Amino acid sequence: MNSNGKKKRIGVFVCHCGVNIAAMVDVKRVAEEMEKYPGVAFSTDYIYMCSDPGQQLILDKAIEEKLDAVIVACCSPTLHEITFQNAVKLAGLSAFQVEIANIREQVSWVHTDREEATLKAIRIVRSLVEKIRFNKNLEPIEVDVTRRAMVIGAGISGIQAALDIADQGYEVLLVEKEASIGGHMIQLSETFPTLDCSQCIMTPKMVEISRHPNIKLMTYHEVESISGFVGNFTVRIKKKPRYVDEVACTMCGDCEEVCPEVVPDEFNLGLSYRKAIYLPFPQAIPGTYTLDIDSCLGLWPIRCSACRDACEVNAIDFDQKEEIIEEKVGAITVCTGYDLYSMKSLGEFGGEKYEDVVDGLEFERILSASGPTGGKVCRPSDGKVPKSIVFIQCCGSRDPENHKSYCSRICCMYTAKHAMLYKHHVPDGQATVFYIDVRTGGKRFEEFYQRTVEEGEVLYLRGKVSKVYKEGDKIIVHGSDTLTGRKVEMEADMVVLAMAMEKKEGTEELLRKLNISADTDGWLAEAHPKLKPVESINAGFFLAGCAHGPKDIPDTVAQASAAAAKVGALFAKEKLQHDPAIVPVNEELCSGCEICVNVCPYDARELDSEKGIVIVNEVLCEGCGACAAACPSGAAQKRNQTDNQIFSMLSAILKI
Amino acid sequence: MVNKKTKLHYYPGCTLKEKTTNLDNTTYAVMDLLGYELIEPENWTCCGAEFPLTEEKIVGLAAPVRILRQVKLEGGNEVFTVCSFCFNVLKRANEAMVTDPLKHKRINAFLKDDIAIDRVTGEKTTDFPEYNGDVSVLHLLEFIRDEIGYEKIRSLLKRDLSKVKVVPYYGCRLLRPKGKIGIDEPDDPSIFEEFLENIGCEVIDFPFKQECCGSYLSLSMPDAASEASYNILRSAELNGADVVALSCPLCYYNLDRRQDRIKEKFPEFHEMPVFFFTQLLAWALGVDEEVLGLDQHFCDPRSAIGIDKSGVEI
Amino acid sequence: MRIKLKFEENEKKFIDRVNELSGENIYSCYQCGCCSSGCPFVFEMDILPNQIIRLVQMGREEELIGSKALFLCASCFTCQSRCPKGINIANVAEAVRHLIEPKGKDYFGPQEIPVELADELPQQALVAVYRKFSK
Ligand SMILES: Cc1cc2nc3c(=O)[nH]c(=O)nc-3n(C[C@H](O)[C@H](O)[C@H](O)COP(=O)(O)OP(=O)(O)OC[C@H]3O[C@@H](n4cnc5c(N)ncnc54)[C@H](O)[C@@H]3O)c2cc1C
Ligand code: SF4
Ligand code: SF4
Ligand code: SF4
Ligand code: SF4
Repeated sequence: MNSNGKKKRIGVFVCHCGVNIAAMVDVKRVAEEMEKYPGVAFSTDYIYMCSDPGQQLILDKAIEEKLDAVIVACCSPTLHEITFQNAVKLAGLSAFQVEIANIREQVSWVHTDREEATLKAIRIVRSLVEKIRFNKNLEPIEVDVTRRAMVIGAGISGIQAALDIADQGYEVLLVEKEASIGGHMIQLSETFPTLDCSQCIMTPKMVEISRHPNIKLMTYHEVESISGFVGNFTVRIKKKPRYVDEVACTMCGDCEEVCPEVVPDEFNLGLSYRKAIYLPFPQAIPGTYTLDIDSCLGLWPIRCSACRDACEVNAIDFDQKEEIIEEKVGAITVCTGYDLYSMKSLGEFGGEKYEDVVDGLEFERILSASGPTGGKVCRPSDGKVPKSIVFIQCCGSRDPENHKSYCSRICCMYTAKHAMLYKHHVPDGQATVFYIDVRTGGKRFEEFYQRTVEEGEVLYLRGKVSKVYKEGDKIIVHGSDTLTGRKVEMEADMVVLAMAMEKKEGTEELLRKLNISADTDGWLAEAHPKLKPVESINAGFFLAGCAHGPKDIPDTVAQASAAAAKVGALFAKEKLQHDPAIVPVNEELCSGCEICVNVCPYDARELDSEKGIVIVNEVLCEGCGACAAACPSGAAQKRNQTDNQIFSMLSAILKI
Repeated sequence: MVNKKTKLHYYPGCTLKEKTTNLDNTTYAVMDLLGYELIEPENWTCCGAEFPLTEEKIVGLAAPVRILRQVKLEGGNEVFTVCSFCFNVLKRANEAMVTDPLKHKRINAFLKDDIAIDRVTGEKTTDFPEYNGDVSVLHLLEFIRDEIGYEKIRSLLKRDLSKVKVVPYYGCRLLRPKGKIGIDEPDDPSIFEEFLENIGCEVIDFPFKQECCGSYLSLSMPDAASEASYNILRSAELNGADVVALSCPLCYYNLDRRQDRIKEKFPEFHEMPVFFFTQLLAWALGVDEEVLGLDQHFCDPRSAIGIDKSGVEI
Repeated sequence: MRIKLKFEENEKKFIDRVNELSGENIYSCYQCGCCSSGCPFVFEMDILPNQIIRLVQMGREEELIGSKALFLCASCFTCQSRCPKGINIANVAEAVRHLIEPKGKDYFGPQEIPVELADELPQQALVAVYRKFSK
């Protein structure tokens, strides 16, 4: 019925999508058949419904034919539902009086028999006619938005995203679990393709973070739990005790001097040592020492308290306790980065056994001017300058059988960079690279690679290495060169493994807390691989950097800025609109059995113990319908998708 | 009091009854000390030595499946081997019966017409049940680790092997093909090391432990085999080992019995004693020297375990 | 060193037969060369294991008939254990041997065993080598 209580006049518009649909579906016949269908007042076909003239056609006919509802038979609603809703709005209809019959993805693209496909298309359109007869006009649900963002992870992606959001005038909480911000980029020596020093280009941004009036930096913090919905999240953040007062600490280093406990330094990937009380690296932000409780001998009065006694400004506080802080934010950007796949997984390369077989990040530290060797290229075992280095690409990448099926994207480039920088340090050294393919897709990447080969006189051998082992103080590499058809056995002083990137440890746990999804490899899933690359599927969550998949710094930064822009767009809205097609409770039918409460994945339903029935938080309900299917009394029915509608659709589909 | 022994199926394989009786004898000796009575499946035949790799040659599965079926008929649900080749063939054949319905069907159809004499009743049987891969095939190293336990081994040690600097040599057949067959990770194995440590040896790590020794190429391409074996023994020596421990009679042939031919090709080669792991275990458990069959070796291994030329322990 | 690729029926059939017999998908090899890097017998081979696969991918049965490499594979499975595509190269070599056997000569028959070795050879080596290398 339309609003006047009369039978609805329904229009059907069948799209050819060029030949995408028309080649497999007889679109003219669909339009003709529908013309005869009860309730259909008008039916036609057109080559591109989404084009301007196509939309105009819908608009004109809606007015001319006094249509109450419109069905467009075309591609998936994820693509053009909004286009056609806007078109009918111009004709004064509600957006809820448009339905999309997907006859492309669900028909023409997946079938090979034109006759059968055409019949299926007709049935699908019919079923939507049945549905739309009962569609009601709904008003969007409006909610307020908290204009304050949280960014999780402070590598280059999190730093960039936080700065860009803060510069738009919004407050940002930047949560980092380590003692300092910086992530992996601060560990790098120089960066391809321009070879600028990583620390030189990164530290200004880090300082800006610490100074920005809109940024609240929370290092040594971790997200504990989260509740709420887009625009209105409540987060609980755990503050880990660092046992040092950040503000009071003058970074004099007296504590470090006296601390008796020495442990491997993670910033240098274990190539050097640090004390239990330490500064991660000289430019660390915040500029404060941190006491690592896991390596500390035990806090006073149990055993040692040397550092506290040595600290002249009394910055060390053994009584600090873990704290939980609650904050409200409107949007969350996840920038948790990556880990390198462990060399342990490639037993045949001996990375765990031989000190002089290192991974790419270790080699970055060896190359770095601030690294454990003070910028001299020395090998870890005996400090000798390596006269020959073998670089092995695709270690663990592109190996669906044993390791990761994907290409890690950056290792071809950083291997070229490593070979080139090595030659800068050791001009008479020999650099040999074993590769399967060299992938240099980025801007000026190919030129960089070719320069490495030509100027660095680097020998690239096309073959995957099978075995690396030690003989005396030489490392022996068994590889091959498929271009000449030879097995290659060679000696080296050092071997650098271009290990695959993999998801950051702890990602699954974080994602569970946030209730957002990842792909099969553990990388964060974007809402659409082409058109929504920085949004998570769940509203209010954005993603950037290597948490989303392997990428270099330029791409990371671009994605972070894009995510920040998306957060800005969200905050620019006066109110947020929530889809009203939710599942309310029919108070008369509800028995209060609570079955729906348990199946709801969004915690949108709860028992009102006074009334003895379930009530719905309209903003939390995503209209997934899990409860509607589960409710034994028929009290839970999705708006515009009631049982009645579903049964009429089914019979329209099943009718020959 | 007579200790009752546990009955256990053991498949020795042909080579052990002919050329490497030392491996067979020491297996019997140690298993006896560990409390097992070994049963060889009635009328066992050669397992075929090589698992057929193509679909066309599946008749090669008949022999191993027949052996496994026999174990089953005799009431066994596990069988162990010490020869790596036999282990590999039996385990792969067994696995094929579980995972490959086509092979299962074809082999069972083929074996249906077998005739045998029932051990208990003495009657002729032709009525064989289908074999479904339900006997578990173990290598003795696995059996020791998982069922006997190192603790028990350690408690029974009689001799000190701490001066024996040994490399474990796995070769191919204990570890590969990768997947369900090997007794450990193909590129990062540790079971053999653990075994040798637990019998008191000083274990030396070396990078050629999973490299192929040349296998049967020693017949068809003797030079290729010599080089492969040479690489292994040389690496063992470079890493400071005095002896090699292994479990395969063919590896033993290539690495010990062919040392003269290795030397012909590589004059700088140094001889090195090679032991079956069961010989070392037997020695550690106090078994007499004669049982070890040390005179069958090309490179005299006596001094490596502290026996002088006249056979006296030093 | 020139070939003309024609994609003829018999070449296609050869590829299909190798796939069928070996149970592998020859097309999934992306020629990384790892098999050749690890094979302990390449030093005696005329072509590398990855080239065996390559020639099958190109349907070059004729070229494989004379190859010594096929008979140097000891089925040690080193390649299989590291192949990033999970290809069992030893199965492929066996399939190719099987297909070319009728066209070539017996690679290794009983007459080839030196008499002086007959006594010391382990049985398993004899059985294995006939299984692998004779018709
Ligand atoms: C050897 C090597 C060399 C490279 N060289 C170059 C180069 O020359 N040029 C180039 O463009 N790119 C290079 N890259 C790539 C570069 O490192 C990445 O593109 C970049 O670091 C990605 O930054 P990110 O912020 O996404 O991730 P990360 O740097 O990994 O930062 C993630 C941050 O999130 C934090 N975090 C993680 N989980 C949580 C959590 N649950 N809660 C709170 N915080 C969390 C981490 O502690 C970390 O600080 C190289 C990479 C490698 C491995
Ligand atoms: S209390 Fe802990 S951190 Fe402080 S000096 Fe002692 S060991 Fe080091
Ligand atoms: S980027 Fe290069 S080295 Fe890294 S996985 Fe891809 S192809 Fe291999
Ligand atoms: S290792 Fe596997 S993928 Fe690589 S060349 Fe050999 S068969 Fe092909
Ligand atoms: S299985 Fe054959 S091709 Fe593969 S590594 Fe062993 S000998 Fe070489």
